[in-house]
Amino acid sequence: MSERVAVIGAGQTHHKAKRDDVSIAGLVREAALRALEDAGVGWKEIDAVVIGKAPDMFEGVMMPELYLAPALGAVGKPIFRVHTAGSVGGSTALVAAHLVSSGIHQRVLSVAFEKQSDSDAMWALSVPQPFSAPLLAGAGGYFAPHIRAYMRRSGAPRDIGMKVAVKDRLQALKNPYAHLHLPDISLQMVEESIMLWDPLHYLEACPSSDGAAAMVLGSDKAASEAQAATGRRPAWVHGMAMRSEPTMFAGRDQINPQAGRDCAKDVYAQAGVSDPRSEFDCAEVYVPFSWYEPMWLENLGFCAEGDGWKLTEEGATALDGGDIPWNCSGGVLSSNPIGASGMLRFLEVALQVRGEAGEHQVDGARLALGQAYGGGSQFFAMWVLGSERP
Amino acid sequence: MLPDVETLLEYPYTRTTGPVLGPFFTALRDGRLLGIRIDGRVYCPPVEYDPETGTSLEPDLVEMGSDGTVKSWTWVTQPTSQHPFDHPFAFALVLLDGAYRPIVHALEVASPDELSTGMRVSVQFHEDRRGAITDFHFVPAGTGTARQVVTGGEPVTVIEQLISLRYREPLQPHRRRFAQGLLDGRFIGQRSPISGKVSIPGRGYDLLERVEVGEEGDLVLADRGSVTAFTVITPIQYYGQKETEPYIRASILLDGGDTPLTGVDVRGLPIDEFRIGLRLQAVWWPAGQRDLGEIDNRSVSLDGIIERWNPTGEPDADPDSFEEFAL
Repeated sequence: MSERVAVIGAGQTHHKAKRDDVSIAGLVREAALRALEDAGVGWKEIDAVVIGKAPDMFEGVMMPELYLAPALGAVGKPIFRVHTAGSVGGSTALVAAHLVSSGIHQRVLSVAFEKQSDSDAMWALSVPQPFSAPLLAGAGGYFAPHIRAYMRRSGAPRDIGMKVAVKDRLQALKNPYAHLHLPDISLQMVEESIMLWDPLHYLEACPSSDGAAAMVLGSDKAASEAQAATGRRPAWVHGMAMRSEPTMFAGRDQINPQAGRDCAKDVYAQAGVSDPRSEFDCAEVYVPFSWYEPMWLENLGFCAEGDGWKLTEEGATALDGGDIPWNCSGGVLSSNPIGASGMLRFLEVALQVRGEAGEHQVDGARLALGQAYGGGSQFFAMWVLGSERP
Repeated sequence: MLPDVETLLEYPYTRTTGPVLGPFFTALRDGRLLGIRIDGRVYCPPVEYDPETGTSLEPDLVEMGSDGTVKSWTWVTQPTSQHPFDHPFAFALVLLDGAYRPIVHALEVASPDELSTGMRVSVQFHEDRRGAITDFHFVPAGTGTARQVVTGGEPVTVIEQLISLRYREPLQPHRRRFAQGLLDGRFIGQRSPISGKVSIPGRGYDLLERVEVGEEGDLVLADRGSVTAFTVITPIQYYGQKETEPYIRASILLDGGDTPLTGVDVRGLPIDEFRIGLRLQAVWWPAGQRDLGEIDNRSVSLDGIIERWNPTGEPDADPDSFEEFAL
């Protein structure tokens, strides 16, 4: 990284099962306009736009970036589309940040969205498609065997996933933008929900949401101008990394993928982090199915391999009383506009280190990790944000 | 020689129309054509935001007249099933009177000899309208029938769009040998010349070392193996879903292989006795009754190849023995 980069504006929609009042363009603009307002700038001040969403099959709009360019004030400016499956929201933010860190642009708008109600992700992830690996029964059908293998390997008790499902939904109650607000959530309620993809209950899976997220990434100069104009602090990028690996090869560890471990190692080295559990104040991590909390705790080095479930069990990852709160916003388990889900992780840690997370704020958060993964646990995107200018 | 694989990709998507396109489609359904006025310019079809500045504006919708001028055109000699006519026709860029930009739409004439840039055309509404851009087309000026405006219907807030794509692809050479093997009752994998690991199906190359693996790397694996992972799926309903009862999808590591067959349908076996390590033997459909079904260059469905998987009665495999290839 050469030039400093900061998040100078952030915006998101209220995520819902169906936004029947807006088109895709209207949905995306809602988040983008909130990010611009937060940054104290208008369309004119934006140099380039980077847009991400899940594969085109999800809404059946081929190359939506073409249709959305005018709605995003991108006429006459560079606009880029990023594709990395479920991690796309994270990689979209990183591509935008790279355009600033390289010194090319001063202010880049990154946006990500999904309007799942216009389609059906279960269908899009089950139907055979050209040159795509078959998932056969949605993402849950693909990941459930990995989860069972993790349970066997780690010896985790069967209720760990249910505990994550309850914790994240309780935290979502403090986030007005979250899709699911389930005030009565309990272990019993999760256990009594149908066993969709054994060992995953219905309530251990993410919802299907309409929503969008946007951030303005700015240079050192743009950050001080934004702070002077709005009085709000920037969130500084201390490290960013992406990794990928093939979906399936002999010897691949799908439970604890090498690409995820390498990506974490890279981003921690950039940020000077050696003990993530003690040095981060919080993390927003892509957990679309409950068991991915303990699995990613291990992959991200917050504990030794095999111990992730113990952190969950002892409440270490809870906003209320935990030493390393994960997904204070309610996470993907509470809001899942797929293309935007990764960006929401990145955006939520920006809110945390800026002290703007409202009711789900971690007191005094100064350093935080945002992570997104996608495909068959094969694309990883991460950044470390801090309140201090690096 | 195995035939090319033909696939139909199709889904009835919906589109939420929002505050500008909703009234536009409602008006089409009613037999009227709307544009939007932005900064003195009229766009038809209406745009949601000022395309030049990105500014949001209160929608200032205006009714367009019926007539316009052809700015350019192309002739469609062989219409497909997705075109609006089953006879040859033109796609034209028509600048409606008063509009700032042309609209692209179908123009019906008998022959390309009747077309010219600058010709005058009119909107011809169809009798049966549903609130879609296909509710009208263009005809030469003065040849259409008068529009019948029908009001009082519910506003159009969602439109349906069936997207359909049929495509054909040849199987790649290694894939062809794998598929032929299934028809012959053999599981053909490929051994990497670098790592010595055996993948099934082979990829034609070693994914990590990026070296080609040709026919010399093919080998036949056993048709029995161990369950390395599984899930029991309770089906939920979506477009095209055929399942109604819970069923198992399992990963099976064939003896001699280093990657499991994933997503294998093992129905018929009792769900509560199914477990990691269980040893299974493939029971093939009789030769001549085997069907490659949806096998293409990436997907493998063994439903038409393997009739069922029978427990072998052997002691379970030790899960630690296939930890490295767990899934």
